[in-house]
Amino acid sequence: MCAAANRQIEKLRENLEANLRLDFMEDDEVKTVFDGIASFDHTLRQKILALCFSLSHASSAFVVSSLARIRKARNVLSLRDTEKWLTNAFDLLDAKGIGPYIKFIADADDEEKLRRFQSPAGLRLHSVLSRIEAFIQGISGMGLRVAPGRTAHTDTEVIYLPAAINLYSSRKENAFVYKLMSVHQWSRIVCKSLMPETDVIRSFVRKQKNHPDIDSIFRAFPEREAAQDLYAIFESIRAERFLTEELPGLMRDAATLRKRMFDERPSIDTLSPLSAAVEVFFQYYLVGRIKGKNPGWWDAAIKKIELLRQEEGPAASFALIAWICEKTRLKGEKYEPCDLGFIGNIRPDKVSSLIRARHAEKKKSYEGMINKLLTVPEIESRKRPEGAKSLQERELRPEEKYLLIKGRIIELDSELREIIDERQGIPGGILVKGSDLGSGSPVTLADLAEEEEAPSTRTGGIPYDEWDFRRSGYRKQWCNLYEHDVHPGQEPFVDMTIARYGPYVRLLRNKFELLKREPRILRRQKDGDDIDIDASVEAFSDRLAGLQPDEDLFIRLDRQERNIAVLFLLDMSGSTKGWVSEAEKESLVLMSEALEALGDRYAIYGFSGMTRTKCDYYRVKGFDEIYSEAVKSRIAGISPKDYTRMGPAIRHSISVLQSVDARTRLFVILSDGKPEDWDAYKGEYAIEDTRKALIEARERGIHPFCVTIDKEARSYLPHMYGESNYTLIDDVRKLPDRITEIYRRLTT
Amino acid sequence: MRATTLRTEQYIVEEEPYYRPVGDEIELFSAAYKNLIPVLLKGPTGSGKTRFMQYMAWRHKRPLITVSCHDDLTASDLVGRYLVKGGETIWVDGPLARAVKSGGFCYLDEIVEARKDTTVVIHPLADDRRILPIEKRGEVLKAPPEFLLALSYNPGYQSVLKDLKQSTRQRFLALEFGYPSRGLETEIIMHESGVGKDIADRLVSFGEKTRNLKDRGLAEGSSTRLLIHAAQLIASGIALSEACRVAISSPLTDDAEMSAALSEIASSIF
Repeated sequence: MCAAANRQIEKLRENLEANLRLDFMEDDEVKTVFDGIASFDHTLRQKILALCFSLSHASSAFVVSSLARIRKARNVLSLRDTEKWLTNAFDLLDAKGIGPYIKFIADADDEEKLRRFQSPAGLRLHSVLSRIEAFIQGISGMGLRVAPGRTAHTDTEVIYLPAAINLYSSRKENAFVYKLMSVHQWSRIVCKSLMPETDVIRSFVRKQKNHPDIDSIFRAFPEREAAQDLYAIFESIRAERFLTEELPGLMRDAATLRKRMFDERPSIDTLSPLSAAVEVFFQYYLVGRIKGKNPGWWDAAIKKIELLRQEEGPAASFALIAWICEKTRLKGEKYEPCDLGFIGNIRPDKVSSLIRARHAEKKKSYEGMINKLLTVPEIESRKRPEGAKSLQERELRPEEKYLLIKGRIIELDSELREIIDERQGIPGGILVKGSDLGSGSPVTLADLAEEEEAPSTRTGGIPYDEWDFRRSGYRKQWCNLYEHDVHPGQEPFVDMTIARYGPYVRLLRNKFELLKREPRILRRQKDGDDIDIDASVEAFSDRLAGLQPDEDLFIRLDRQERNIAVLFLLDMSGSTKGWVSEAEKESLVLMSEALEALGDRYAIYGFSGMTRTKCDYYRVKGFDEIYSEAVKSRIAGISPKDYTRMGPAIRHSISVLQSVDARTRLFVILSDGKPEDWDAYKGEYAIEDTRKALIEARERGIHPFCVTIDKEARSYLPHMYGESNYTLIDDVRKLPDRITEIYRRLTT
Repeated sequence: MRATTLRTEQYIVEEEPYYRPVGDEIELFSAAYKNLIPVLLKGPTGSGKTRFMQYMAWRHKRPLITVSCHDDLTASDLVGRYLVKGGETIWVDGPLARAVKSGGFCYLDEIVEARKDTTVVIHPLADDRRILPIEKRGEVLKAPPEFLLALSYNPGYQSVLKDLKQSTRQRFLALEFGYPSRGLETEIIMHESGVGKDIADRLVSFGEKTRNLKDRGLAEGSSTRLLIHAAQLIASGIALSEACRVAISSPLTDDAEMSAALSEIASSIF
């Protein structure tokens, strides 16, 4: 192959030389051309030769000028990038002819344009993402996630970092920049830079809207972008004390980078006044001095900056920005965004939309709770067991709080009471919405009544009790559960997953087979491969002592007998739509593969439903079923349905598990968050019922374990599932990898 | 240099072990002891359970008999067995029987590792009967009031096969051990290793950050013991980063990414 390539090159050389001579080139000129080509890197030569040959058909002058341009490009770009640039030029020549080619290649005179071909060398975020994420989660103790963004910024939940960093040539140093960036974004959250106290916001926002936030403050500044950059600098100055205390090593190492960045900064004098006003502060932040002439107000500014370091909140930073705006009287000037390196940018818009999204979610839950208030008593009266009093009839206890809605006295549960206390009343809009839905009585009640009528068409449900924590008792036969098969899916999901995980599946099977074959010496056996010395000595001495000697004198090497039956219960609620459902299905495939190798008995069920009368329980695989095509197509057919009423599904799973004969019964629940149904099954009520159902499982000798994919709700998990009876997976993509590991840990 | 051989029941903690109480565990333990209630020490590894037992044994001047449980531990390993010696059989007491006879503290470490059929032999000792039946000899040992039974276990293991039976649990008073507070942990590390406050402070800060990663890639965060190990290495002149790597990061995880993240955290703190 090498010889062939050499022949090709030789032929190109000959042809090029012939063409050049045809164009009346002298010997020494031809030599210069070939020397020029030879001066390039080995890998580029053939391409350059071919290009020159093509050009030489037109004119030898093009060859000479092109070589000069290629040299320039090579001086600026890396080898690989030069090759890319060259290929681009060649393609242009082939496709569009000499004109566009000349224009393109002439651009090599402009370094800026050349740099566009520079691939973002250095370190790519995705190669260190998991490490940086673990780093910042460890440092912060928060469930912060890391994702690629244009510049470093955060919305307080996700830290965005640039997709690549090539400040340095070495990977280690670039990774250091990522660390520094993520830590500075974390300090924005901890130092409350992005979510200032309400009174701080109110003192800087003139027009008071409903819920002013940091975005409203910046909207008030005429030069918004400059103000944001100034804010980033000031807040970094303020955070320095905190960061140095927390991470002295990192901040010490950062000094070198800061100095280096300072060396690359432009002089103040070359910038427009507005850009200069930001640049001075950044330079001062980096090393404590500035390049160029001090602005007139500089000495006063330094005093103010130094005071920032002692500040507890961001109010002084906003005040300082306002002061600068006034001092410099800069309005309507062009601001060229300053590259703030590792301190990143401020994105108040993103923070604001996050706050709004949270707010909307909260509002939705208020609405749900208000609806619950309006509807619960009615449902209760419908199937009230005899002798029990309805809420209205019950004696009102003075220590409880009540609310009068539409002439009905309603007892508030603790969650709602908390909200009402916090908001000093029920938010007006919600109440109006609740009562405006129908004329006279709320429509939701009628809706619910319709739902309530529906079950008459469905019969044969299995009744289950539900725990009501408010009355510390069960609502007898409150829920109706129906068992169905999952409708088989068409696509070959299982095969696709196995193909996708390829080698990992093999590894997994091996791992689980090992688990099965783990040999174990059984002592004191009636028969076996060898004599149990300990037992024999004991028997011998027993005999001498005149006692009845033990007859179990052998040891036997045995595979550890596993006698485990596991039921996987899958949350098929609507909220799992998308990633979660896919990951759950993939997990099931991997789990099935692993368990087939291991030989533990397993069953897979899913659950969803809507209201207490329609709890659906879907069979994917029963304990006695083999992992057949039918099961596989049912896995493929799993799709998100309605709501998450966990109680009845858990109780039914208990009865399924109890029908299996096994020494250890394990019950694994895969879910994506809080239990919640369309009706009043929400919040504390739902959590308490789920908790109760899990306790029932434990009472019956079943080990429940919950794997939950939930970003935010760490708080209620230990209470609901029990400490160390659950695991939290904050990134759904990791679920398939993790689930098998969890199972392994659980059963060894 | 010669190792000294002691009979199990002669092992008495002579010098006061260093122990800093986190809460009122000393009072609770003493009260349980006075009232003949056995004690269950719960907590993650390296949180001071064993040290606490040593301290209490010293305080009450009782011999401390420790049995590290494993899944091959049989009931006769605990109670005792006949052995043949020179054509004669002699009875040899197991550690549990010795502890009962000598009125010592019997400490069964990591009790969940023992098989469930072994665990039940302690049941008659752990309720108000306070007896140890020795079936082979047809005897029953009645425990003196000085005798105390203590178990330790780590509830963080999420294995369903390693769970303590209710019938076992419900005989004990349970003392929970957690990681000590920041200031206390600093003090403990300084005392145990001799490093200065600054280093100890930062080690504690590193420890806290590894604990943040529990369930986020680490099965458990760094225990106080690991922090002390690192501090001891540092006191012997090992470089900070190296000490943290070999004493903390590497023992905690085999995962290369996680271990790298831990090193990054360490280098940020030191």
